[in-house]
Amino acid sequence: MRSVLALAAAVVIAAAIPAQAQPSLEEGRELFEVHCASCHGPAGVGTRFGPPLVGVGEAAADFQLRTGRMPLAQPDAPTLRKPPAFDERQIELLVAYIGSLDGGPEIPELDLVGADLQLGARLFLDNCAACHGATANGGAAGGSAFAPSLDQSLPLDIAEAMITAPGEMPKFAFSDDERDAVVRYVMYLQEQPSPGGLDIGGIGPVSEGFVAWALAMVILVLIVALVATGPGRSKERVLGDEDA
Amino acid sequence: MIRWIDRRLGVDSWARKGLRKVFPDHWSFLLGEIALFTFLVLLATGIFLTLFYRPDATPVVYDGPYEPLRGREVSAAYESVLRLSFQVRAGLVMRQIHHWAALVFVASIVVHAARVFFTGAFRRPREVNWLVGVGLLVLALMMGFTGYSLPDDLLSGTGLRIAYSALISIPFIGPYLAYLAFGGEFPTHGIIPRLFVMHVMLFPALLIALITAHLAILVQQKHTQFPGPGRREDNVVGKRLWPSQVFKSTGLMLLTAAVLAVMGGLVQINPVWTYGPFDATIVSAPAQPDWYMGWLEGAIRLFPPFEPQIFGVTIPAMFIPGVVLPGVFFTLLALWPFLEQRVTRDMAEHHLLERPRDNPVRTGIGAGALAFVAILTLAGGNDVLALMFNIPVEAITWFFRIAVLVGPVVGGYVAYRIARDLRDGATPAFGRKRGVMLRRTPGGGYEEEGS
Amino acid sequence: MLVRLAFAASMVASIALVVLYLRGGERTAEGVLLGVALGGLGLGITVWATRLMDPPEVEEAREPLASPDGKSLVDMLRDEEDVTRRVVLVRMLLGAAGTLVAALAIPTLSLGPAPGSDLGRTKWRRGLRAVGADGRAVRPLDIPLEGVRTIFPEGFAGEPDSQAVVIRVAPGLLELEGRRAEWAPEDCVAYSKICTHAGCPVGLYRSAAHELLCPCHQSTFDVLRGAVPLFGPAVRPLPQLPLAVDEEGYLVALSDFTEAAGPSYWNIERSDEL
Repeated sequence: MRSVLALAAAVVIAAAIPAQAQPSLEEGRELFEVHCASCHGPAGVGTRFGPPLVGVGEAAADFQLRTGRMPLAQPDAPTLRKPPAFDERQIELLVAYIGSLDGGPEIPELDLVGADLQLGARLFLDNCAACHGATANGGAAGGSAFAPSLDQSLPLDIAEAMITAPGEMPKFAFSDDERDAVVRYVMYLQEQPSPGGLDIGGIGPVSEGFVAWALAMVILVLIVALVATGPGRSKERVLGDEDA
Repeated sequence: MIRWIDRRLGVDSWARKGLRKVFPDHWSFLLGEIALFTFLVLLATGIFLTLFYRPDATPVVYDGPYEPLRGREVSAAYESVLRLSFQVRAGLVMRQIHHWAALVFVASIVVHAARVFFTGAFRRPREVNWLVGVGLLVLALMMGFTGYSLPDDLLSGTGLRIAYSALISIPFIGPYLAYLAFGGEFPTHGIIPRLFVMHVMLFPALLIALITAHLAILVQQKHTQFPGPGRREDNVVGKRLWPSQVFKSTGLMLLTAAVLAVMGGLVQINPVWTYGPFDATIVSAPAQPDWYMGWLEGAIRLFPPFEPQIFGVTIPAMFIPGVVLPGVFFTLLALWPFLEQRVTRDMAEHHLLERPRDNPVRTGIGAGALAFVAILTLAGGNDVLALMFNIPVEAITWFFRIAVLVGPVVGGYVAYRIARDLRDGATPAFGRKRGVMLRRTPGGGYEEEGS
Repeated sequence: MLVRLAFAASMVASIALVVLYLRGGERTAEGVLLGVALGGLGLGITVWATRLMDPPEVEEAREPLASPDGKSLVDMLRDEEDVTRRVVLVRMLLGAAGTLVAALAIPTLSLGPAPGSDLGRTKWRRGLRAVGADGRAVRPLDIPLEGVRTIFPEGFAGEPDSQAVVIRVAPGLLELEGRRAEWAPEDCVAYSKICTHAGCPVGLYRSAAHELLCPCHQSTFDVLRGAVPLFGPAVRPLPQLPLAVDEEGYLVALSDFTEAAGPSYWNIERSDEL
């Protein structure tokens, strides 16, 4: 009797394991209904709190979930990079499920080794710098739209954003090579040390002017005060002069 | 050796007399020297840069070590700056020292001018030197603007575009002026060589001439001094030029240069390689000019969309904040000594300074003016502030629109009150009376002691 | 003492600087060593001046600035009758000098051409295709939905005064008035990229709000309603480029912009239709 039970158990377990190795659309749907449907509607049809997700594709879901932008605490909260709310497995499940809702862009495969750095620099300055800044340190895009700094972005984040145009970002029709080139350039900006020294924020003359005043002028005026009265020159001597 | 020179030039008695001159000893009198010594650093580093820079907008192909731009068509000017930064030994440090010095140059002029203003040192007989000083301030601004536009990078080129639009906005003569200055419709190849000539020859010549005049007038009229024991309008009390003032000034010069050298070596400034070469069809944000032009940038951003037509003549939106504002501001600044004379009817010669508290009205007006410029400067970075605090840039803009009108008035009034209260020794503005001494009156009531 | 230390440090730093330079140089070290070299010398001199010297305070008289009454420059100029008596000659001298200055100043006009009619006009003409910066013609579907492309007239790719942006908005959203509605084939609407405020390229498109934002001074334009300014200092809308689709499916211009492109000037033609 025990051996039959053991055999049955083994068969059940053997049947269950393959199902766990691939993302199960059913599990994904369950996660979705619990965490996402309140805003995005059952099966992603959309509600007045959140846009429909039908056709956004795996790339969009992967981007939003991995960078922690989704889920939002409230419907109109700003979408900022945060630690992800789900673990890797859950993200996999949700991505697969959302991807199954009438297709959409898939998670891209990047080839950064062969990417053209010069082309990436050109495309970035032509298309991305207006919002994200030439140094990719982010910028205000009007209203509640802020093009974020790219200093923490992974290559996949950047590629997925370029494909899926999250938030106010416009869509760009880049070829795979062009996309990889831009990603390579952003990684270059992230990784290369600033040739001139401390980059004080990388946003240009605003921080440079601030440093000129708050650091250089303060030091210089202090030096002037020291030069005039002398280091350690005691107050009594000065008063004594006045008495004379 | 000195005798050798004296036998030929006869300078001995002149030099002795000069070195015995007395200069009053107050720390705030050295602020102008920071500006002077920063200028010397600018001259020295500038000459070095001039030997490597190519004032030429002709396209060339970049072939240097900065990878992302290799193979890209850029102007020869831009290429020369990259070459200087990456392929010339000591090139980058010289360039960065030069640019930091430029920022500090204008800042030190402003601080020095504020000292002169708040102590009334511009009063007769020093009105002329005040005019020279305002001229120096304007020249410093022009030097800065022409200088940072020379690399022909995306950020400074955007600034040139805005300057061109400001010129165009002048009624009747605007388009002519702009075409004359730039050599045609923006963008032109001719503007870079012209900026170079202005930056390296014309403006420095004017600067050196005016600085010389500034110092000569100062020596002729003798420096002002604060009131104190033994100090009157008809004397100067201080230390002789030699040895103490010469040593102090020399020391200050070297220390100023040292600060600028360290900054040039440690802190990056104006990374033109990241901005890329100028391209009139793209722009990077945030886009600001160097800090001393920030007040104009702020004015342009804050000014509401107002473009009236008067007798068929359009007054472009840029005209009032971009042209009229700086014109009026610098005119008022230059004429201030005469305006003050008119109002106070004070035509006397003054060699004794006032402390800021001794003239609360002037202090209040000066504080208000500084607040005005400071608020405009901050407003020039409204998109950076928006990003920093995660507030919509429109809200920041509206905040500054109100602040620029209210702030100077409030700030000026507060400064006025503080100065006045300090001067009158009255109850401190924010203090309390310590208590009163009372005594009985014959009628049975109470009254304060001393009343 | 401190002064000796300071001078010594300066000497060491200066020598190190020379050695560093001969061995290739390095920016941080160059700056720091230069700072120590200059600062050591400066500190030594300053400490010497403030601690080792104690010069007395001295008094010096101020002489009156104005010259004493009596023979003065004004008198000297006035007394010279050979000059002052000949009034007519003096007047003609001044007149000639003035006209000479004007004549010498006139070559400044060589600095540039007169503005003429190209101010505000571009190279767009009827029948010219819209091309990207790479010179390739653009079809509506080449632009992704809610995407933005920078376009130029064919043959003038990269020409700054003709730069324009074309945006393919989601269907049914455009609310263009009058004949402007016919200038946006297949939901592709094009506007001049030169901001009407100060001339910066308006490169920032917010796809959800359908607004173009100029990064320089934050002028915001409503893409769906003819690029009318919604916020910021710009007063004039971005001129709309009349577009059509030619037989081969490429975007083509119907004419130049119907209003001046770029920032305003005093005699700009104002368009009544808005």
